[in-house]
Amino acid sequence: MIALLRVELTRLRWRRAVVLLLLAAVVIPALVLAATAWNTRPVSEAERRNAELTVEREAEQPYMQRQLKRCEAKPERWGAAGGGADEVEAACAEAILPQAEWYLTRSPLDLVQEREEGSAIAVAVVLGALMLLLGTTFVGHDWNSGSMSNQLLFEPRRARVWLAKGLTVLAVTAGFAALVLAAYWTGLWAIASSRDLDLPDGTMTEAYQQVLRGAALCGVAGLGGYALTMLFRSTVATLGVMFAVALAGATLLGVLGVPTHHWVLPHNNAMAVLVDGIEFTVWERPGCDGGPRVPDRCVERITAFGGAVYFAVITLAASAASLASFGRRDVP
Amino acid sequence: MSELVIEAEGLRKEFRTRRGELRVAVQGLDLAVPAGGVHGFLGPNGSGKTTTIRMLLGLARATAGTMRLFGQPVPRRLPAVVGRVGAVVEMPKFSPNLTGRQNLLLLSRSIGAPDTRVDAAVESVGLTDRDRDRYKSYSLGMKQRLAIAATLLKDPELLILDEPTNGLDPAGIREIRDMIRGLGAAGVTVLLSSHILAEVQQVCSSATIIGNGRLLASGRVEDLVGGDAVHRISVPDAAAARSTLESAGFVVAPDSSGQPEGTLLVEAERPAEVTRALAGAGIWLSELTSMRPDLETVFLQLTAADTLGGHLTAHTGPDGGRS
Repeated sequence: MIALLRVELTRLRWRRAVVLLLLAAVVIPALVLAATAWNTRPVSEAERRNAELTVEREAEQPYMQRQLKRCEAKPERWGAAGGGADEVEAACAEAILPQAEWYLTRSPLDLVQEREEGSAIAVAVVLGALMLLLGTTFVGHDWNSGSMSNQLLFEPRRARVWLAKGLTVLAVTAGFAALVLAAYWTGLWAIASSRDLDLPDGTMTEAYQQVLRGAALCGVAGLGGYALTMLFRSTVATLGVMFAVALAGATLLGVLGVPTHHWVLPHNNAMAVLVDGIEFTVWERPGCDGGPRVPDRCVERITAFGGAVYFAVITLAASAASLASFGRRDVP
Repeated sequence: MSELVIEAEGLRKEFRTRRGELRVAVQGLDLAVPAGGVHGFLGPNGSGKTTTIRMLLGLARATAGTMRLFGQPVPRRLPAVVGRVGAVVEMPKFSPNLTGRQNLLLLSRSIGAPDTRVDAAVESVGLTDRDRDRYKSYSLGMKQRLAIAATLLKDPELLILDEPTNGLDPAGIREIRDMIRGLGAAGVTVLLSSHILAEVQQVCSSATIIGNGRLLASGRVEDLVGGDAVHRISVPDAAAARSTLESAGFVVAPDSSGQPEGTLLVEAERPAEVTRALAGAGIWLSELTSMRPDLETVFLQLTAADTLGGHLTAHTGPDGGRS
């Protein structure tokens, strides 16, 4: 088995499409990291001066001056009443005139936000998609070229062949994703540190926990893509089926009148795993159509464990079907 | 009787087409290949040769029947004997973007063979200069050579070759033929599936002919083609010549293939026997043409009869001779 695992690892390493996908799995997060760093960069003095000049120009506009005069004449309408003339003037200026901060809307880097709904989630999702493609194309090539039959002439124990390939895909996709995600978070931490940003306690611990969860999801994506391609024996067929299920599945259920719960949808479960649980408000339920406070019965939760079970069940079912099919069907 | 390397009894393979129709590719085939030598496996396109080979190698599942390789039931015990079997099934199938050498390395490492085995295999098929080129850049002949090199990675005792000379140039065909002959002489059992009947006749010591998934004939090649040749003779007096030859014990028939009158067909081992008998009766030949049947003739007769719905099933016993 060890020899087979080594062979599959070599086969994976020698496959050009796999190398390109792994390259993309490094380049895309690197670009996202660079974009995040750029979009959260501290405001420079030049930008601040520019904003102040813009504010001054705006304040000198006739319509702005007219508004200011109206405010000073009837300050109570603008919520600027009280105090002496200087205080009214200041209150009106604050209420009506533009502020420099309005033109400096760029938010500083916030690692908690990045972890819960920011670029780290996007990177994990992109990596998951790439690893799914990797698992699919790795074995799709074996079927497409017909080399699977050649391999079976040397190792006819099909279960061993399936397991060796599957374990290789799982290890490489999960391991590689872990490295990339860890590097991404280390990059974010380095940027935050270089900007002297305060990090709440445990920020990086939680970030690296997300790295592990993201890596596990990527491993499952790779293994799932592999298992389905071993079942359908074609990369195109596998991607087509996945696309159809993702796109048409919910629509079809809707047309058929089958209620679609949030927990059914893969992306919700992926988010639950990545951010350690998510909540939804179910507006369709009676009595849940708005209001100042959403009642508890209107809220659905998917825990990280629930999401993990969801993917475990799907992957195990796909793997079992794939293994059984590979063991029984004729190989072209 | 020598040990059998391949045995199949009542082998049957059914499959369903995309339209759901049931097709029978192999129907109750019996196959016995003795150890040593080169055994031809013949049949028209679609007769079930490749399906039979694929079932033997565990690539396809038999619907019914039993198979043995080296006495071991397959596919159940295939892992125990697969290391002794090298095979090329249909067209060579390798990863096109890998080099020939990389393809062989993956296969050899999967059986724990040293990488030096690849060098030897590549050299033995004459691919040393091109083994580091991508497989997709190979000609069909080079692909065939690489497939044969792959079979040699195991140092096999049984070699199953399905149309191994497809796409080879005449020099390549001769090279592969010599290699097969050499392997057979060295004690390797070779099952050679081929459409080139002259090639089979030259290389094989025994052969099996199948049609429509059934056994039509099997035995030593010389027994399959028959012992006696047929000679066409032209004589001035056909009636007298026929009477003379028949009284001498020859089988004689008029030639109805559009030849001029006075032409007869005579079965005899050697043409001299015919001339001696006629000369003894004072009948002088004006022409004699020997027509020894070859494997192609036998093959065409058997498969034509089978295609026409005949049930000619010929087997040879241990002493040879079709029945």
